[in-house]
Amino acid sequence: MNIIGTPRRRVDGRAKVTGQTKFADDVMLPRMVHCKLLRASVPHARIVRIDASRAAAHPGVHLVLTGEDFPIPYGILPVSQDEHALARGIVRFVGDPVAAVIARDEQTAADALDLVVVEYEALRTFAGPADSLAHPTPRIHEYGDTGNIHKLVSLQFGDVEQALAGADRVFEDAFFYQGNTHLPIEQHAAVAARDPDGKLVLWSSTQTPHYVHRALAKTLAMPAAHIRVIATPNGGGFGGKSDPFNHEMVVAKAALVLDRPVKICLTREEVFYCHRGRHPVLMQFTTGVKNDGTITGMHVKTLLDGGAYGSYGVASTFYTGALQTVTYHIPAYKFQGCRVFTNKPPCGPKRGHGTPQSRFGQEIQLDKIAEALAQDPAELRLRIVEQPETLTANYLRVGTIGLSQCIRRVTRAADWSNTFRKLPHGRGVGLACSSYLSGAGLAIYWNDMPHSGVQLKIDRSGGVTAFCGATEIGQGSDDVLVACVAEVLGIDPLDIRPVTGDTDLTPVDLGSYSSRVTLMMGNAAIQAAERARDLLADAVSRKIGVPKDRLVFADRRVFDTEDGSKGVTFSEAVCLAEAAFGTIGTVGAYTPPKSAAKFKGGGVGPSPTYSYSAAIVEVDVDPDTGWTHVPRVWIAHDIGRSINPVLVRGQVEGSVYMALGEALMEEQIFRRLPPRLSGALVHKFPSMLEYKSPTTLDMPEVFTDLIENPDPRGPFGAKEVGQGPLLPVMPAIANAVYDAVGVRIDEVPITPEKILKALDAKAAGKAPRYGPAGFPEIPWPEPLRVAPPWAGGDGTADDKGLRAEGKGLNAESRTPKATSVPS
Amino acid sequence: MVQITLTVNAEPVDAAFAPYKTLLEVLREDLNLCGTKHGCELGECGACAVLLDGQPVLSCLVLGVDCGGRTVTTVEGLASDGRLHPLQETFADLGAAQCGYCTPGFLVTAKALLDEHPRPTRDQIRDALSGNLCRCTGYQQIYEAVEAAIGQAGPKGPALRDTRTDASSVRRPGPFGPGTDQSR
Amino acid sequence: MKAFAYVNPTSEKEAVAALKTDGIAMVIGGGQDLLSRMKDYIDSPDRVVNVKGLDATVTATSDGGVKIGSAVKIVDLAEHAAVMSLYPSVAAAAIEVGTPQIRNQGTVGGNINQRPRCWYFRNEEFVCYKKGGSRCFAVNGENQYHAIFGNDGPSHIVHPSSLAVPFVAYGAKFRVLGPNGEREIAAADYFTMPTLANVLKENVLDDEDILTHVILPAPGNVKHGHYEVRYKQSHDWPLAFTTVVLVMNGVNGTSGANGTSGSTIRSARVVLGAVAPVPWRSRPAEDALAGKALNEATAALAGEAAISEAKPMSGNAYKIQIAKTAVKRAVMRAAGIKTV
Repeated sequence: MNIIGTPRRRVDGRAKVTGQTKFADDVMLPRMVHCKLLRASVPHARIVRIDASRAAAHPGVHLVLTGEDFPIPYGILPVSQDEHALARGIVRFVGDPVAAVIARDEQTAADALDLVVVEYEALRTFAGPADSLAHPTPRIHEYGDTGNIHKLVSLQFGDVEQALAGADRVFEDAFFYQGNTHLPIEQHAAVAARDPDGKLVLWSSTQTPHYVHRALAKTLAMPAAHIRVIATPNGGGFGGKSDPFNHEMVVAKAALVLDRPVKICLTREEVFYCHRGRHPVLMQFTTGVKNDGTITGMHVKTLLDGGAYGSYGVASTFYTGALQTVTYHIPAYKFQGCRVFTNKPPCGPKRGHGTPQSRFGQEIQLDKIAEALAQDPAELRLRIVEQPETLTANYLRVGTIGLSQCIRRVTRAADWSNTFRKLPHGRGVGLACSSYLSGAGLAIYWNDMPHSGVQLKIDRSGGVTAFCGATEIGQGSDDVLVACVAEVLGIDPLDIRPVTGDTDLTPVDLGSYSSRVTLMMGNAAIQAAERARDLLADAVSRKIGVPKDRLVFADRRVFDTEDGSKGVTFSEAVCLAEAAFGTIGTVGAYTPPKSAAKFKGGGVGPSPTYSYSAAIVEVDVDPDTGWTHVPRVWIAHDIGRSINPVLVRGQVEGSVYMALGEALMEEQIFRRLPPRLSGALVHKFPSMLEYKSPTTLDMPEVFTDLIENPDPRGPFGAKEVGQGPLLPVMPAIANAVYDAVGVRIDEVPITPEKILKALDAKAAGKAPRYGPAGFPEIPWPEPLRVAPPWAGGDGTADDKGLRAEGKGLNAESRTPKATSVPS
Repeated sequence: MVQITLTVNAEPVDAAFAPYKTLLEVLREDLNLCGTKHGCELGECGACAVLLDGQPVLSCLVLGVDCGGRTVTTVEGLASDGRLHPLQETFADLGAAQCGYCTPGFLVTAKALLDEHPRPTRDQIRDALSGNLCRCTGYQQIYEAVEAAIGQAGPKGPALRDTRTDASSVRRPGPFGPGTDQSR
Repeated sequence: MKAFAYVNPTSEKEAVAALKTDGIAMVIGGGQDLLSRMKDYIDSPDRVVNVKGLDATVTATSDGGVKIGSAVKIVDLAEHAAVMSLYPSVAAAAIEVGTPQIRNQGTVGGNINQRPRCWYFRNEEFVCYKKGGSRCFAVNGENQYHAIFGNDGPSHIVHPSSLAVPFVAYGAKFRVLGPNGEREIAAADYFTMPTLANVLKENVLDDEDILTHVILPAPGNVKHGHYEVRYKQSHDWPLAFTTVVLVMNGVNGTSGANGTSGSTIRSARVVLGAVAPVPWRSRPAEDALAGKALNEATAALAGEAAISEAKPMSGNAYKIQIAKTAVKRAVMRAAGIKTV
């Protein structure tokens, strides 16, 4: 291969280094006016009255909108249509948009916001899961499983009780993963305008233009065909721009009303309040093992603090229990998850979506198990790695697994056998592993259509235009698109112009989430390119009298594999094909394979294939200050095949970076105002200074090793890399801290304060640990029982329990619309 | 309104704007130089860094009115004579720009470093860039890009590489011809 | 931010005169703090008086010290040869301020006079004592970065200036110019502990005063140590930090082997930062050092003594250990003993 696997400047590299990449806030249009949102100052209240008359009369104000203007709700998941562009009747968190002012400039709009009078009648504030579990009323939403519990999941695969009873040792550990947020450097921005024929155009820094398109059509009650959504390149996404957002709906509506372009750019503070980031998760792992470390069964319980709206939360809840089984063989598995509503900004998907929290618990617990069994944690893991090409207990079909290689490579690179438990006090190393999906197997809304489409327009010049709905969020999706096409057609990537993320021009791609783009768009691109190559080969074969199967496409030529001198240039080949067949354009599409999981809830977790990672982190812990410094990280990632190794490495190192922040400093937390100040829950520090994220001086040296074992399901064998490498780093840091100073920090972030407290506890002869004490009582429903594949199961639920005789198909347990909520 | 004359990217420019506008706003809104980005507008991220009289500063925390008679360099002013600055070449080639949003701030800050210390060590690079946040890269490829530009980037240093074929300039020539695996 | 009038005086006197107004006038140096406060609507002055044009030089004084114009950029202070050799702890503090871009634009005067970083003060929603309100939200709120010394209230901020700490430790004087002429104030007296009467500000400056110079006396036969404990290595304030300036007996104060000193400490100045509403001079630590040999054991004693006065709040007791370590390690650095 000429292009695939070769380090290469990304196709959009020049634009980015010259400042010419046009982000949403760089869209400047004639007659453009500016929008600001008034956000709720109280966390939970009934809106008694809104008087916007003074704001509307303020000089320079063109329009004021309120909830009255947005009767139709929306939400990313079909099961959670619980948001309005502007609050109607109730506000549910400090920051919930209540009114919008559109004015000649931002300052005027901001000034006019102060003139909007909103009268609130306070409702009980739910600050955290304990409140929401204790008080079913007032309900934050009128839907959800019960009271203020949004979602309860209870799934059991095999007889876990029996499996735990049959174990030599059973470990029960609680962990807490604090919430954190994406913090893209680009603040969300959007511009809406009517195009000259009156239709609506929205430019937005969104990762999911297709879903924004659908949400706009719904809330504006407008034909989708008259709406065009253009996803501008995102200045960082990480999951934070995956929901349809209030501000997008508002500027769209305003542009329609005013018939002039309307822009909004959120302030950094507003970005913190938009959030949709990592859920805070309390979790408990109960794991039975044999003395050799093999797992007999596992029971995982998670409690998610969802914030004020559904967002992706139902999927997030399932994800906290979905991927435990794809790394290590777990013969019997039980998962119970609970997401509650609270009066805080909604949580949603952040890099790793729902899985980093439970991966953190699982990998620390494995470290504890290894120590208790006096085993090396690397060797223990190698013994229990899941087999490739198998079906797990919860019916996830895993493809290639490079995890053992990952473990061997990092332990060798880090000199593990000479460092683990052998470094002086204060220094330590820790190991952890992980896996992630290469794209969600199901769309967010249930349908049988492709998840990604690519269209090629082949020009007589030899230039190719590649159209795809995929969204460039920095990860390099435009580059993957052109690389796949260039490889098949034997041309230079720069001969191809990518046109992406534009609902008018490009075929649908579902969006940049769930690490789906390389695999899905890549396969669609290959199909489209192969169809084009076939047409060209036909025409060239006829012209030069060489059989089609002897033709090679490379170096901008089409030539005889047996005689390189016999051939034509690529552009000549296009001309020949155009003469023979007419204008040359081809399409390709990708639809993931059907899931093996047919039970309710089985829609979250399936993927065409999974990536694997292993990381070793070295830490220096200063016992006198509790400060943890990470000098080095070794990480190996099972990528399948690198499309462009420069970008792959960037994704791995960027994941390590983000993981380091989550492990050591980042937290999205809230503070209560005193009761007489409404008892509001406000962000503890909605600023980039106080929300601590790693700088150049905090970032360790990262040694990246890519395991290239092509997976036949991926384009040229490629699997995902954008999210998986984040996952092992947090638990590896916690494990390394234990190796360094002998205390367990069972929650993130691992701050100096927590380390000092754990060291104090250790010195006082108490448990050398900082972390949650236990897991609360939750009204779990009776688990849905599914027999694992090795127990004769067929992926359907068995109402009669494990020992029941008949296991006939249960029509109602087919994955229904309501649960097709992956991401 | 205040009116000033300043030099932006080696060209004299007149600008008239409200006195409370920051240099960032003057650049983006009044001079249409949108290459300079904003991430916080409070001096917390470094995305808006520009060179003021050759020194990197945060344009969101500099008043436009303070810039009369001064020299400002933005990302749009890095290329010269139709050629990208060596840092732009290496940033593009080596993955130093992922989403590209923090990139203009990194580029001008790195340029100031190389102008002052033509051969910085890795630690000097880390120090010099410690006011620029990047959420994508983990910084390592940024360091490598700065290091790769060492020796190519003098104050007036011409680009050494032919930029006409951006991609092929870094791509190892592939094994063209018979036997090449063409699809999978 | 709200619109304002901008004044560009060409002399100290003009600057002071420009501060006289019926509205609110504020001084802008590098603007790194003021502009962010204005953008957050913490301050909305009607008039902004630019003092960047005032003295921006570091000059030698006749007694062997230096005089630092308040308009000197922090980067220039950090890299100034005389400052680096005579007052290495000033240079050490300066090079850690903010970020390179902030040091390029921020000034010495601005660093000294910046307002607190308390997250309640910086949030428009919280009308605390320092914004004319009647409470300190940190008392019953989130206070993990707040004061552990001088906690009698009413405000529990920690002073945000990094440079103030070594300036106090070296016995600097601040030259202030006001409508009634100029005066020199010892750095230690410049910063004020909060009282109900003065809680709106952190120092002795009146509304029409400007800080024009920092005057450092000749250091004499001293050893210096500066140590900062940081959570994040850039773009952040330290959790706690210390400057120690040790006046040594004997002429050279040379170190002996094994970290023991060839001479003893005559007297000490130990000043802690990020732990109190002012740069916190620790008399117990100073007493613990006086007359002792300069070695690690003495350093540990100084650390213990320094925290004897600590009164933590509900969520910041962990800072005591950190402050103790900062003092100990600053003394060790003065002794030339390797620290973490």
